[in-house]
Amino acid sequence: MAELTPFSYRPGVSVLHLQDVRFKLVFIVFISIASMKACFMSLSVLSFALFSAILIIHLPFKSILKELRYFFVFLIFVFAARALCTSGTPLIEFMGIDVTLQGMYDGTLVCWRMLLVVLVGLLFVSTTRSSETRAAIEWFLNPFPFIPGKRVATMMSLIVRFIPVIFKQAKETSDAQRARGVENRKNPVYRLMKLAVPLIRRTFESADKLAVAMEARCYSEKRINTKLYANRSDWIALFLVLCLCVLLSVIDMFECLY
Amino acid sequence: MNILEIENISHRFSDGTLGIDRINLTIREGEFVVIAGRNGSGKTTFLRHLNGLLLPDTGIVRIAGVPVSEDIVRARQIVGMVFQDSDSQIVGETVYDDVVFGPENLCLDKSEVKKRASEALKSVGLEDFADQRPYLLSGGEKRRLAVAGVLAMKPRVVVFDEPFSNLDYSGTKQVLNQIVSLHNSGHTILVATHDLEKIIALADRLIIMEDGRVVMDGLPEDVIMKVEAFGVREPCALRLGMKIESWLS
Repeated sequence: MAELTPFSYRPGVSVLHLQDVRFKLVFIVFISIASMKACFMSLSVLSFALFSAILIIHLPFKSILKELRYFFVFLIFVFAARALCTSGTPLIEFMGIDVTLQGMYDGTLVCWRMLLVVLVGLLFVSTTRSSETRAAIEWFLNPFPFIPGKRVATMMSLIVRFIPVIFKQAKETSDAQRARGVENRKNPVYRLMKLAVPLIRRTFESADKLAVAMEARCYSEKRINTKLYANRSDWIALFLVLCLCVLLSVIDMFECLY
Repeated sequence: MNILEIENISHRFSDGTLGIDRINLTIREGEFVVIAGRNGSGKTTFLRHLNGLLLPDTGIVRIAGVPVSEDIVRARQIVGMVFQDSDSQIVGETVYDDVVFGPENLCLDKSEVKKRASEALKSVGLEDFADQRPYLLSGGEKRRLAVAGVLAMKPRVVVFDEPFSNLDYSGTKQVLNQIVSLHNSGHTILVATHDLEKIIALADRLIIMEDGRVVMDGLPEDVIMKVEAFGVREPCALRLGMKIESWLS
């Protein structure tokens, strides 16, 4: 049985599950923009809001932390790069390299913002069926005559659907290589190449099989799509998210002033 | 009545390899046919001609009297295909979403889509899994979900390509039960496999393929003694001089 991954849809009836997916996409855009320049205080407010949402939809924290472990490694690199490359008051000096107070402050802020954007994405993926995502993307792309909305929407929803399958294949490939002692090779580029090449090949093979299976089930762009309905609670949620974004901007303004 | 009429079909791939070569067959409605042959003998290529996933270079395939090339959507609706790799076949985010994929493609009415999905899930015993995520199902359950996805399109012929690959004993029995129940409900069944042991006791007819051609075709008891010459293992019971028993008995 496949391992659970939090980056997949979890059936439920929470407020977020029932929200119109077009609104959810707009929320992602607003929150991501608001978090771009956010400082400590506003990031704390946003974190509180997001963690409350995670609690509401019962996402397992332990499993999220486990799945995000590679992302945390990435954040450590980002933090280190900021801490070492930003000029300011030196906090630690070692072999001519300065770790500055401003660098650590900037690094913490950048990593925090990135983590929150990933959590917003996680909340979206966990509460939205790929069929709804497809319908919403199609709706957003409708006004653009030169973009094949249906095709783009199908591709994007299939990517979301197949993330767990690709993770599973990556784990199988990695396990098979570890069983043959790949860990004795210290060169990370060699190891990455040995993992990436078969994984990409398998992913393309799976995509090919999927295309044939979809064709066998009469797939075409002319099909029934999920109907999207916006109701009062969606507009209320939009108002609340806008209020949150304004609040974050006001906090940022005050924090910058003082 | 013949549901499938295959007249002299051949198919050559773009790299020049001959996939199938001058195949002539007729299959009666309600028949249970097993197609066996070694890897690369052309079983999958042949099956893909039955619902227009591949079109023959020469010859013609008729489904209930109508050539496949004239109405491919009709062919795909009548001939449902269950593939070897369920993971790559399942497109839905949940079990229910996957089952409605086919009916939605047929542009059926919303209430009809819902009705067909619940009937299909019930018939494979997955009605309690409707909200489950497909990749969390066991191998046998995934294969049954793939069958439900096909059944929701109300096919008359169900084609299984290596249905027992990667399945344990219990998964194999689940799939076998499913196949038998489909046959009992009047569906025409075609199963491509190189593992006769599990299914031959249930079949009406055995076809052996070799190098893209049909080399033997007849009643299982007449054909089975000669299968080893074509790279297919003779069932163990026969080697021991015993009668072949169904895995479900």
